[in-house]
Amino acid sequence: MKTALKKGLSSGVIFGIVFVFLLLIGFINVGSGMIGDLLGNTKGLSNQDTLSVNNLLAVLAILGFFTGFIARRGQDESKWWVSFLGGLTAGLVSGSLAWLGIWLTGTLSVQGVDLQTYLPNMDPDDLNYLRFYSTPFAAANTYMIYFTVFSLAGSAVNWLLSIKAWFAKCVAGCKRGVSSWKKSSDIKGLFDNPWVMLVLFLVTAVVLYYLPLAWGSYWNYIMGTVAIYVLLGLGLNIIVGYSGQLVLGYVAFFAVGAYTFALLTAPEPHGIGLSLWLAAGASIVTSTLTGLLLGLPILNLRGDYLAIVTLGFGEIIRILIRSDLLTRITNGPKGVTNVGQPVWRGEVFSDVNYMHLLMLLVLVALFIAKRLKDSRTGRAWVAIREDETVAQATGVNTYRSKILALLLGAAFAGLAGAMFASRNQFTGPEDFTMMVSINVLCIVIVGGMGSLPGIVLGAFVLKGLPELLRELEDYRLLVFGALLVVMMIVRPEGLWPAGRVKFKKPSAAKIQEAATEVEP
Amino acid sequence: MIKKLRNLKLTPALILRLLVGLVVLIYLGWRIYQTAFGEGVYGPDTWMRFLITGLVVGGMYALIAIGYTLVYGILFMINFAHGEVMMLGTFAGYFVLEAFSAIPAPSAADPSLSFLNAYPVIALVLTFIAGAGTSALVGFLLEKIAYRPLRGAPRLVPLISAIGASIFLQNAAQLLFGPQRRQYANPDILWRGTGWMIPVGGKEVMLTYTGVFSFVLSILLMVGLFIMVKKTKLGKSMRAVAENKQAAALMGIDVDSVISKTFIISGILAGSAGVMWGIHNGLFNHYVGFLPGIKAFTAAVLGGIGNIPGAMMGGMLLGLFESLGPALLGLDFQLKDVIAFTILILVLIFKPSGLLGEALSEEKV
Repeated sequence: MKTALKKGLSSGVIFGIVFVFLLLIGFINVGSGMIGDLLGNTKGLSNQDTLSVNNLLAVLAILGFFTGFIARRGQDESKWWVSFLGGLTAGLVSGSLAWLGIWLTGTLSVQGVDLQTYLPNMDPDDLNYLRFYSTPFAAANTYMIYFTVFSLAGSAVNWLLSIKAWFAKCVAGCKRGVSSWKKSSDIKGLFDNPWVMLVLFLVTAVVLYYLPLAWGSYWNYIMGTVAIYVLLGLGLNIIVGYSGQLVLGYVAFFAVGAYTFALLTAPEPHGIGLSLWLAAGASIVTSTLTGLLLGLPILNLRGDYLAIVTLGFGEIIRILIRSDLLTRITNGPKGVTNVGQPVWRGEVFSDVNYMHLLMLLVLVALFIAKRLKDSRTGRAWVAIREDETVAQATGVNTYRSKILALLLGAAFAGLAGAMFASRNQFTGPEDFTMMVSINVLCIVIVGGMGSLPGIVLGAFVLKGLPELLRELEDYRLLVFGALLVVMMIVRPEGLWPAGRVKFKKPSAAKIQEAATEVEP
Repeated sequence: MIKKLRNLKLTPALILRLLVGLVVLIYLGWRIYQTAFGEGVYGPDTWMRFLITGLVVGGMYALIAIGYTLVYGILFMINFAHGEVMMLGTFAGYFVLEAFSAIPAPSAADPSLSFLNAYPVIALVLTFIAGAGTSALVGFLLEKIAYRPLRGAPRLVPLISAIGASIFLQNAAQLLFGPQRRQYANPDILWRGTGWMIPVGGKEVMLTYTGVFSFVLSILLMVGLFIMVKKTKLGKSMRAVAENKQAAALMGIDVDSVISKTFIISGILAGSAGVMWGIHNGLFNHYVGFLPGIKAFTAAVLGGIGNIPGAMMGGMLLGLFESLGPALLGLDFQLKDVIAFTILILVLIFKPSGLLGEALSEEKV
């Protein structure tokens, strides 16, 4: 009883504050617009009048439902009226906070106070919509009622789920089914068959070849960005995921690669006009050298120091590129335009060709990363990541291994930079802010450190989804930040964690065999 | 000393470090020689101006750096979101000042007088309380939500969480208050660009009121913190927790509450620095905490992280390097951030324990 009330109170306060925050940053409107898109009862956000109030009510219902649902978390044993009371408390508390938020903003806006001076997202039209086009008092009461009712519903559903034996049975059944499917040797055996793998490989290759042709240029652009970020993620994964060195200035290598490629191929400012494939090679070489330059003196630093030093290094590179000091070499803040593009059989690359090239590079990079992971060096990296002192004691040359990881990571970034500059036909200092490093780091961590499918998944989730959900553009970084914190608390190993190589116990027969072989 | 030198093994890393050091020294010598005996672009008044700027900015860096050092001393983690804690303090101070300048307090002489100009001292005190209080609250919540669940996790985990919190806070401020630059409404007696004129080398240099105010206040806050750490019971328990958490817990110290209080104190200092930043520099937006945060971290490392006097000294030194450095080295002023980062890298290469820091034990390093 007491815990139920306490949990209800805390859940209510949290969701109430979240609601007011979302209200103030204008997300409630965007959210209702998205629900409208989903349900198909609006023409879009630009047209507030046609946006049905029902969408807003749906947002409130969802928030209220979660308030009640979460308020009953972890209390499986309670009676129905205890859960009712918990849900009621949660609903009333969050409802009152929402009431206050709506009533205050509404009253101020009705009285003609210009809220947008201080809170730019408090557009009077939006506020009018949030009030259901009625008085602040009536609207606030509606919010209160919605939160309370749906919080009760949420706690009731949670209660039902917790008591219903059939549900528990269903969950157990599902789990058993999945595990038996996993265990079933037939499927596993199927994948061990080389012919099956060959067919799968061919099918994948054909699909990958025809996808860019079918997609159209918009999708090719988005997926190209995703592919470049997969390359970056694979590179940073070698540094952070395999060898455990937190490098926050990864963008420096990306920038060096992109600028090397651009300066060697663009007509301005040097007009070298090198062959593109050579220039891409040069990008890899220069960014690797940059990695060597940075890595040699600082790689014996401890984790968080290393993070800050590399962050500083990334900023130094960006500031230097745009400074007057190097403006004759790098063209300063203007950036380099008309970067060279690859030519195939006398034709400049189209978006489809680019996509094919990027896919090929990603596949090669995946192959390299996979082979590295399973190699002796890869195991040395993992040992360093887990415990550097122990790794050293077992005979790993930690310094050399760490340098090698940094160099390989830098090489991947150099290649990605060359592709980036070539595809955009432009490169400027503002393409290489610290946020690029953070984005790549997010991909590695959200996907799962050290996990190759995780990186690909992370790049799709973090670079692909925001491009598709354009309305969420402004909120992307906010979600990134929250996601990083939540990930670290809830699932630090990432969405698709790297599996560990398990020690296989040899069968008795094999041991016998080995023993007899040794004997004579 | 000689024995130490004889035992020194010439590893490639060491040779590389020596080479880097040599190059840096030669470069510095050459640039400073050029500036000192070259054309003499800057007169003594200009140098004086640089010095003043350096000290004022250095005081703010020192206040923020103390926050990094306190937290690092106890948790061995870099509170990456500390700059954002400061930024929110700047915003809170701004809103309070705006409110005071909107409240009328008419007097017989001037009917259009606002509360801010009628009672500037009260208004400023309340502004600082609001700024410091907001930052303290943010720091407290930050620790509770983003760091406490991760205690005992591998080292990278809380750092990444801190980076996430930093991104979140920065973007939350941008979405709430908008990306445009805002201007602090100072009271008339503390208006920016007014000050005492002091003669230096035949010319007059302005010693701004805001600069003096910020500098004196930051010194006062540092002295207060120092007394707090050395004399009070809370300070004693903080030192105990920094020394050894388990032993401190066995002696009856509530470690969690000490950690919370450490974050609150760091927040108070950072929030005060944030309000000072606004009062002294005027313009700010949601990025205001990023560079000062990183530079204050540099300052903390420079002085020896975990060491409070080190952070104060490092902050002052960094402020001075930054304002005098470009002129001394004959570089563009747009490169002053490069100087700060270069100092950080050089300190970490040659003396990772900082100027005043003791060599950290294996466990801490």
